[in-house]
Amino acid sequence: MRIAMISWEYPPRIVGGIARHCEGLARALVKHGHEVHVFTLDFPGAPEYEEKDGIRIYRTRIEVGHPNFLSWVLLFNHFIEKRLADVSKRVEFDVLHVHDWLTAPSSVAFKHFINKPLVFTAHSTEHGRSGLHIPDSFTIDGLEWWATYEANKVIVTSNAMKHEVCGHFHIPWEKVDIIPNAIDPTKYQVAVDRWAVRSRFGIQPHEKLIVCVGRLVPQKGVEYFLHSVPILARRRPEAKFIIVGDGWYRDHLEWVANTTGQRWRITFTGFISDGDLIALTRSADVAVVPSIYEPFGIVALEGMAAGVPVVASQVGGLTEFIEHDRTGVLVYPRNPESIAWGVEHVLSNPDHAKWLVQNALEVVQKSYSWDAIAKKTGKVYEEVTSSKR
Amino acid sequence: MNDMSYTPLPPVPEEFKILSMMHNIGAISPERSLTPDELAKWTNIEVSIVRDCLQRLRELGYVEHSEVSGVEKYHVTKVGIMKVLTLYS
Repeated sequence: MRIAMISWEYPPRIVGGIARHCEGLARALVKHGHEVHVFTLDFPGAPEYEEKDGIRIYRTRIEVGHPNFLSWVLLFNHFIEKRLADVSKRVEFDVLHVHDWLTAPSSVAFKHFINKPLVFTAHSTEHGRSGLHIPDSFTIDGLEWWATYEANKVIVTSNAMKHEVCGHFHIPWEKVDIIPNAIDPTKYQVAVDRWAVRSRFGIQPHEKLIVCVGRLVPQKGVEYFLHSVPILARRRPEAKFIIVGDGWYRDHLEWVANTTGQRWRITFTGFISDGDLIALTRSADVAVVPSIYEPFGIVALEGMAAGVPVVASQVGGLTEFIEHDRTGVLVYPRNPESIAWGVEHVLSNPDHAKWLVQNALEVVQKSYSWDAIAKKTGKVYEEVTSSKR
Repeated sequence: MNDMSYTPLPPVPEEFKILSMMHNIGAISPERSLTPDELAKWTNIEVSIVRDCLQRLRELGYVEHSEVSGVEKYHVTKVGIMKVLTLYS
């Protein structure tokens, strides 16, 4: 099948989980014999066209910009649509697969232009991410609804998201399929000189390293993690905390860190390379995912694959692959005391922590491989193309 | 259990607004870089404030400075692009 995959982010343009999701899915679909064409935005240093791992990648230059965000989105959709139209002169696509609302305008228009089915993956919703407090959010919410309405089939990554999408957008239950996110576990099982990595990040051999990875935005709940630092520091004087990632909320979070009285224990690394991220995660004693909204929570899955005990909020998709006290530890969201309890529970029971890690790895390998996810996605493509005939 | 209330969101910092606007305008490479005066016009922010923000953004590695025929220009770096995009995802 010839697939046009449309996403505003694709490596090396990586914002959240969507870029990695699209890359992993595209690779697996190619392995399953599909022809995948990815349409995305340009990124400094990346070619406008390339073939990588059998995937054809078209990066579109945004020729005209605008300071207003939503105007910018409409403009880049126009340029993506032009590129789609141009490529479609040579390639007859069977199905379009769009990821999130940002590229929905070009995808919906193109669906009608070539009269082929559209699959929409809703990775999250504006309603869940930020609430609907400002006019821009209402516009984004409307675009998300439009994409679910126009799509022949909607994919979500968890049961929690299915409830959210069907409930909020009032779309039929049977129109939405759950296909979870996936990772390549082998990527996280590389040999790492644990002590050298820790030393590079200023962690002494006797200290306990607690990491938290994610975009620094409110819904990731890092604020609550920071409030757990003084509680943990009282119980664990040897604890150190590293926060990996960046985002518009970082200044505020650094201010919160300053108010804890424990600032010297906390390091903000900003963005780091994939290699450093894997090495750091594998060298940690605990990985904390303190999200307050999480449609799936791939960071937790990555921690599980890296062989580190995961302590995560009991929200959204996290509760669907973390079984409390068997594959990880679930804690109350927005609750520093509960986060501190979860971390201490893992640190004070090393044998139990090893058992958690072992169980977690089995779950990742069994149920969250790209191969399985590509098969399920291929079935959705077959369903929408056969019903379109 | 302690159920902390959601902290009211702080306003987006001024320099972040400028970074975001630079990105949306398209100043993401040296050949598409803009002068502080041009940025002040685009964003409707006083040029002295724009300059202060650019200085801080430069220190943080989110923008880069170049000088073409004696004219100072600025564009968003790769890390700066990723920082901006966190606002929208």
